[in-house]
Amino acid sequence: MDETLEIETVVRHPKKKRKKQPITWSLLKRQNQLIWMSVPLMLYIILFAYVPVWGWTMAFQNYKPAKSFSEQEWVGFKQFKFLFTDDNFIRVMRNTVAMGLINLILGFVTAIVLALLLNEIKNMFWKRTVQTISYLPHFLSWIIVTGIVATSLSINDGIVNIVLMKLHLVKEPILWLSEGKYFWGIVGASHVWKEVGWNTIIYLAAIASIDPALYEAAEIDGASRYKKMRFVTLPGIKATIVILMIMSIGHVLEAGFEVQYLLGNGLVIDWAETIDIFVLKYGLAQGNYSLATAGGIFKTVVSVTLLLMANGISKRLGEERLL
Amino acid sequence: MGGKSKKTFKFSLIMLLTLSFTLAGCGGNKNSNNNATAKETSAAQTAGAANTSDKVEPFKVSVFIGAAGQQPTPDNKIYKKIKEETGASFDMEFLAGDINQKLGVMIAGQDYPDLMTGNTKLTAAGAYIPLEDLIEQYAPNLKAHYADYWNMMKDPNDGHIYILPNYGVYNGKVNSSWYSGPAFWIQKAVLKEFGYPKVKTLDEYFDLIEKYKAKYPQIDGSPTIGFEILNYDWKNWGLFNAPQHLIGHPNDGGVVVNNGVAEIFADKDYAKQYYQKLNEVNQKGLIDKETFVQNYDQYMAKLSSGTVLGMFDQHWNFNAAEDSLTTQGKIERTYVGLPLVYDESTKDYYRDLAVLNLNNGFGISINAKDPVKIIKLLDTLIQEDWQKTFSWGIEGEDYIVENGRFMRTQEQRDNAADATWQLANKAKAMFDYLPKTEGSFSDGNSTDAAAQPEEYKAGLKPFDKEVLDAYGFNSYVDFFSEPPANPVYYPAWSIDLIEGSDAKIASTKLNELQTKFLPKAILADPADFDSVWTDYVGQIKKANVKAYEDKINEQIKWRIDNWSK
Repeated sequence: MDETLEIETVVRHPKKKRKKQPITWSLLKRQNQLIWMSVPLMLYIILFAYVPVWGWTMAFQNYKPAKSFSEQEWVGFKQFKFLFTDDNFIRVMRNTVAMGLINLILGFVTAIVLALLLNEIKNMFWKRTVQTISYLPHFLSWIIVTGIVATSLSINDGIVNIVLMKLHLVKEPILWLSEGKYFWGIVGASHVWKEVGWNTIIYLAAIASIDPALYEAAEIDGASRYKKMRFVTLPGIKATIVILMIMSIGHVLEAGFEVQYLLGNGLVIDWAETIDIFVLKYGLAQGNYSLATAGGIFKTVVSVTLLLMANGISKRLGEERLL
Repeated sequence: MGGKSKKTFKFSLIMLLTLSFTLAGCGGNKNSNNNATAKETSAAQTAGAANTSDKVEPFKVSVFIGAAGQQPTPDNKIYKKIKEETGASFDMEFLAGDINQKLGVMIAGQDYPDLMTGNTKLTAAGAYIPLEDLIEQYAPNLKAHYADYWNMMKDPNDGHIYILPNYGVYNGKVNSSWYSGPAFWIQKAVLKEFGYPKVKTLDEYFDLIEKYKAKYPQIDGSPTIGFEILNYDWKNWGLFNAPQHLIGHPNDGGVVVNNGVAEIFADKDYAKQYYQKLNEVNQKGLIDKETFVQNYDQYMAKLSSGTVLGMFDQHWNFNAAEDSLTTQGKIERTYVGLPLVYDESTKDYYRDLAVLNLNNGFGISINAKDPVKIIKLLDTLIQEDWQKTFSWGIEGEDYIVENGRFMRTQEQRDNAADATWQLANKAKAMFDYLPKTEGSFSDGNSTDAAAQPEEYKAGLKPFDKEVLDAYGFNSYVDFFSEPPANPVYYPAWSIDLIEGSDAKIASTKLNELQTKFLPKAILADPADFDSVWTDYVGQIKKANVKAYEDKINEQIKWRIDNWSK
């Protein structure tokens, strides 16, 4: 609860340092309705976010389902050792981080650019149409998206190769999914196609809250369209961008599972396998739930570290921050 | 205590209590649940023993089927008949999505329906109840049905029977007109073009494909594809399994067994010979460029278009594509399975006698309220009249009887092939997994309508008659040598490697290496083939293959000791 309050205060008075108020009984008493209101939420969080952490003990056991806790065999760091010493691990890690970053950066840039462009469209009908079309793919599941991607990249009548051939950019169709060097790009592009419209919505909302007077003032001062974008719109949504950036950095290791699993094949496996796929293969598919848990813990630890780092850097730079 | 700290104390007490209640709500109810079930079970057992099924009492059985499927229509006539005569109705859940994920969730929550598909994960999780005593006591028909296979059904790990296998128990004469297993498939049109030659070796096979492709670079306006290899997800045998057959061995999965000793063949010279041949034909442009990139849907779409001349696959895997070709009237584009070998002196051993599939069929879960009722139901359904109802349908409606032989009119044949009709008139989903009689009934009729010789003949298209006449065969199964009796341990692929064991990890590793290196080797420049192969063999050496082979050998020995009669 405290966190939300803090964010609001920070956002509202970015420069003013909040004086720390001592928590006294009279304060608690005065706010007792608030406290009671927060009890269900606290319970919810304890129940669904902290109680399951108990399951982490699995990572240190040779967990067998349907046995009670005391019957489990404890193996210490064996699962982690298996994870980190496997030949594939470095490669898998590289792929995960690389694809995570590509998705992050591409996702941000394209969403912001699209938001800026959409903002410039004055004709409401067109704006709505473009927006609707761009966010529809968000509602498709990955299995459908990868189906579409695989079909469009096919060498017999896949649209990508047809267009490239017609434009005389390539001499003969390219087998996109057989080359490791294309794979990350394909994943990044699929993500953009699927999510760009959806990610734009929040920026459009932020843009809508910018005071129109600022635009008018800029116009009187003779600012061009691009100048207005640069000096009014972008600074206006800076807070949103930074907060979203910090949050998504925490998700870098969630580079995805479905796309890589569904589009990957033997030829690109060195570029396609992510931590999630690795954990599925050697953890869940083997009934080795302990290894899967160890993988999950590893991802969580890295994600939290990244999140804190991003938050710290942002704080250093005097920008908005999440925590 | 002052007023303030008293309140703090009260407040923290409230918080603590709330927390402990929440936590108490989460855990610990498992045991009480189990106790309840156990009590109910024993109660039900006494009740079940008391009234010996005089009256039809309606009851519901929840079923999990480990494959995707469609719910039958609510007024399905077979399920209706079951309900009227035995009281049982089924509440079926079909698999949607990934089986491992689904089972993981089921196991984690101990959330099991009454009847579940056989699966080693569930066995390992202790999700099934042992069936041997139940069968002995309440199910004489099942006992008779499985009599010859009793030892084989026992779980190697603890000697209990958990699963009632659905396939592989044979009675009477076995008619088979449809080969469902692996083979090198070739379009009938290719054989016709070259005057129905006898094709025995791999070289002859690729020669035919090459000649045909040169003569007809296009089929129906699309470029002709010489050879397809599907290697997608778990459907990877198209790439992996051919070498063992080429040296005259049956399908043992990842190993070749000689005199009861198994070894992997992925890195052996006879495997290299096959992949080198593929490398060579790839240079000639016979292998589809997209072959290692495509998913199953794309593969099926290509086969259904009729442009693919050949592939190595299991028949059941691409059956739907052949159906589509038949519907399009392109009979000449459907396939003949050829049991190819490296040289003519090797006897082919593709076709085997079907084996008991221990990883399939039904098991009764520990959550089942009334196992006795269920086993009695299964016992009823294995009886011959019910088996006839399941496989042939209702007499007069779905088939006719002439001089004691079962047959179908053309309309009934068309119906039987119609998926929509099946949903309303067949109990296909359940019957696929139930214990069943295979071979022939006591009156000599085939248990499988399609295998009834008269039916098979009547269903043949003129073109098929022509092909079969040219070779002097009765059915396409005759292309294969008669299978010898199965070795006791057979097949090695059904050996349970035990979840999470070193053997299983090694097999996963091996799989991964094959998926990665074999396509590379096949697509490589012929000059580079050897270096890719050396690299591949080196990587296999590093994986703990020994653990995998040891486990298989241990189980083969166990089977020979325990299964021999």
